[in-house]
Amino acid sequence: MTAITERAKRPPFGEQQRFMLTLIAPAAILMLLFQAIPILMGANASFRDWQLNDPKKTWVGFHHYAQVLTDPAFLKVVLPNTFLFMVLSVSCALALGLSIALLLNRKFRGQGLVQTVLLMPLMVAPVVAAIMIRWMFNDQFGIVNVVVEALGFEGQPWLAQRWTAFAVILMTDVWLWTPWFALLLLAGLQSLPKEPFEAAAIDGASRWRVFRYLTLPMLRPVIVVCVVIRAIDAFRTFDIVWTLTGGGPARSTELFSLYAYEHAFLELDFGRGSAAAIVGGLIILVVGLAMYRVLDRVMQVSR
Amino acid sequence: MSAGAVTLRRLAPRALFGVTLAAICFLIAFPALWLILTSLRPASGVYYVHRGLEFTLGNFATVLQDERLVQAFRNSAAIATLATVLSLLVTVSSGYMLSRFKGPIASTWFGTIYAFRCVPYISWVLPLYFVTQSWGIYDTYTGLLLPHIAVHICFFSWLMKGFFDGIDPSMEYAALIDGCTRWGAFFRVALPSAIPAITALAVLCWLFTWNEFLFALILTGERTPLITVVMAQFVHEMGIEWNLMSATAVMAMAPAFLLALFGQKYVIRGLKI
Repeated sequence: MTAITERAKRPPFGEQQRFMLTLIAPAAILMLLFQAIPILMGANASFRDWQLNDPKKTWVGFHHYAQVLTDPAFLKVVLPNTFLFMVLSVSCALALGLSIALLLNRKFRGQGLVQTVLLMPLMVAPVVAAIMIRWMFNDQFGIVNVVVEALGFEGQPWLAQRWTAFAVILMTDVWLWTPWFALLLLAGLQSLPKEPFEAAAIDGASRWRVFRYLTLPMLRPVIVVCVVIRAIDAFRTFDIVWTLTGGGPARSTELFSLYAYEHAFLELDFGRGSAAAIVGGLIILVVGLAMYRVLDRVMQVSR
Repeated sequence: MSAGAVTLRRLAPRALFGVTLAAICFLIAFPALWLILTSLRPASGVYYVHRGLEFTLGNFATVLQDERLVQAFRNSAAIATLATVLSLLVTVSSGYMLSRFKGPIASTWFGTIYAFRCVPYISWVLPLYFVTQSWGIYDTYTGLLLPHIAVHICFFSWLMKGFFDGIDPSMEYAALIDGCTRWGAFFRVALPSAIPAITALAVLCWLFTWNEFLFALILTGERTPLITVVMAQFVHEMGIEWNLMSATAVMAMAPAFLLALFGQKYVIRGLKI
């Protein structure tokens, strides 16, 4: 697009700038009204005594932030859960997705069918996914316990114990997102140049070395983008936890979005809920930036 | 070495590959298949889905008699369709701008989009509840549509930028030189060549809106129930009637299946960032 840009040595807000601004105006207005204003309003509310049933709206300073940051449930359950979930969900889905992509990166019959199957979890609503997993892990009639008992082990009340419930939530998320990784990485693999691989084959490099020193480094940009996008989304996971366990048993599988929601709408303390939401927003901002840098560097060293 | 051993050695890896592939597909498809199977079982058979061979479509009939559910399906479909049309109108032009121009305006806009994409939904959906209430659009189509469009702007502008990057702009220059206005070049030259990309975006947008949960949970009340929220309520309230629950979930999944079968090309294209 150099031609248009290079002609742009005109006073600011010439004809081209007006065109650019008009193109983004509708989007910008909508974002201002429905994203920027709510965020500012939430920030404002987080400093006020704002009970949903009694909105006094008096200024309380950092009171809610202090409450959130000293709440043992937030520090010892919600934050560790959120980070553990983010790390495990992204790394499992990445590892599985990469293996599937490597496996599928060849010509075989039935490719279309496999692709259709892979696409399915991507299109299913997380709520629906959570419903089916919840049914499979039902402690009395779920198929999982039937199989477990048929194998001679004792059936578990999967969703009523903290760590099994957490594992089920994690598994649901991995089920939902592994295909996404697989499809994107497969596309990445297929767009790699052929020559380095041919050269490696002639040199008689082992499969592992080809993967370690050729495939992985060349796939780096795709992996980084996928991981960053997915990690940001995993941090704010809400629907599958809500539908699978509702944060239970005894709020032990709560992630940060649920914590904020619960304080705002179930305990009707909108100020505190907003404060929690903003704390989470700031955390993910820092984590997101740091993650991008660290990942980038790690992947560069491995080259 | 005998000929048999040679063929075996050649066939063994292929068999292994086939078995692995089948296992992966089975694991991925199993939850959905199980749900469909459950939805076809009569109430008496639902607790032992793996035993017995009675099947019925009665669950679907029962579910479709529930007015609230039917209303929820209708609302979800309407919202998803309207949101798709409107957000395409908004994001295509924004993505075009990101792709075709450089300079401070474009980079500021890109930075804004990136920053907003990182904000967790909960941080702006909580106060959005009050915003929509004070503007009098809480629990209405407008109050759901506009935030849905807003949430799509970031991701879809980004996708659309990628699509336009892949389209050679020289045709647009030619049009400009021939005396076409910038708007003319955008509408008559760029848009028609982006139709496959726009279709991909439409499919994704429809699905995302149909599947969306958190917005629907916070921004809707009694008047405009949406299917995801109604289902989640069912799980918590009448969690025992799994045959009906499954039938509902299967119907909510149906559009996804149809799109996976017939719109696959577009979805894959849309996903490849």
